[in-house]
Amino acid sequence: MILYCITITLLILLAPLLLSYIKVTKMLLLFKRPISLFQGYRNFSKLMHKETIISKEASAITHYAPFLVLSPLLIVLFFLPPVVQGSYYVSFVDAFTITGLISLSTFFLMLLGLDSASAFGGMGSSREAFISALVEPAMVLTIFSVSLMAGNLGVGQAGVNLSEHFPKEHMASFLFSGISFFILLIAENGRIPVDNPETHLELTMVHEAMILDLTGIYLAIIETAASIKFIIFASLFAALFMPFGFEFSIPIAFLIFIFKLFFIATMVALLEVNTAKLRLFKIPNLLGLAIVFAFLSLITFYVLGA
Amino acid sequence: MVDFLIGLFLASLIVALFTTRLYRLLLWYSMNSLMLGLLALVIGDSLDDNAMILTGVMTILIKAIGIPYILKNLSQKFHFVRQITPKIKVQYAIMLVPAILVFTFYLSEPITHMMHTHANYVAISISALFLALLLMIEHRNVAPKIIGFLSMENALFLLGITATNGMPMLVELGIFFDLLMAIVVINLLFHKEELQV
Repeated sequence: MILYCITITLLILLAPLLLSYIKVTKMLLLFKRPISLFQGYRNFSKLMHKETIISKEASAITHYAPFLVLSPLLIVLFFLPPVVQGSYYVSFVDAFTITGLISLSTFFLMLLGLDSASAFGGMGSSREAFISALVEPAMVLTIFSVSLMAGNLGVGQAGVNLSEHFPKEHMASFLFSGISFFILLIAENGRIPVDNPETHLELTMVHEAMILDLTGIYLAIIETAASIKFIIFASLFAALFMPFGFEFSIPIAFLIFIFKLFFIATMVALLEVNTAKLRLFKIPNLLGLAIVFAFLSLITFYVLGA
Repeated sequence: MVDFLIGLFLASLIVALFTTRLYRLLLWYSMNSLMLGLLALVIGDSLDDNAMILTGVMTILIKAIGIPYILKNLSQKFHFVRQITPKIKVQYAIMLVPAILVFTFYLSEPITHMMHTHANYVAISISALFLALLLMIEHRNVAPKIIGFLSMENALFLLGITATNGMPMLVELGIFFDLLMAIVVINLLFHKEELQV
């Protein structure tokens, strides 16, 4: 139980660091002088001290929604696969619950965008709805095929099973679902080919457009929610698609897990530097590719058993 | 390991189907060939077949580095159209690709029953053949069609190394020279086209 609590605290504490790390890697690759690795925490404490101003047109939703964006993601943190041996984990929660909780959080984020009655917020919400509707089928298919390979529908149990006996004979379908999940990681977290988190340009905004009217503590909550969403996806990727390092002793296992998270962040940063942002109406093509790979993983598993 | 490489082989081919830029397409073709070469190296190592290791090295040198480089040079020399939008819409391709895969996986089931080793690889190489055919069909420009032809050759090569436990060295060398001849012929064709224009 203590290990379980340590894992969750570690994930929450690491979340802003990981996003700052991506930014630092990108700035280094672009030959800019990088920001501090702790910029995420600094932003958080700065926003906590700031005054919170809310638009006159906003209704009560704006007061509730930031908490409702954050809380489903915090619940998902409790359902993630374990990091070290002997840690307590929730074995019965399946892919549908996690996808559902994440889309609940997205739903409140979209409401928040609509609520401020600005043109930008509505635009951002409609784009987010468009993207998350396309992400969902691929997400369910991917986690299902991984669960089939692991022999358990529960995500936590699947992670344990995969690290205990890795399905070497299903390597091909494992790879396909890995590719699909990586595309979903990028799409859901609004990284570059789908959405650019750093600009406030009208054409490229999805996530930023929805939270444009927020200030102070509400903005701090939403930014924390974004970083926690990234760490949820990263640790799901680490547990389901890089299932090694589980059998070592506790501190080494933790270190390996953190190393895996930073490896994923590096991959995302490299991809962001190397690709241009897609036009909004080209995003279905990318997500279609994710669906193709997820489906391919399922049929390779069923028909060929490979 | 072999499963992993064969997965990457198919994955790079599928990504190539959705590419809309010529240089990206060449990159994916090069990745595809690199995976094929590594596959030949791994299988050759496990079978202790020196000829296959040699063909693997040659595949990496010729197909993964040489041919993409030559094609890139050619495309710069003759000012190819670099935006190659597939004529089959992406929405349809998303439905078509899994349909092809399911179809070929079931199509090759009788063959896989007859074989004892590497049964899945036959199915995957036949599906790669069909996907390469789709790559040829979906483009109007010459350059992607060439890439489609070359990927089809890759798929046949994969079928050769996985289904037969190693073809005779002579056959494989012959295939390589055929390929080089094809590139030369393509080069000549471009020259001719340029003269007419």
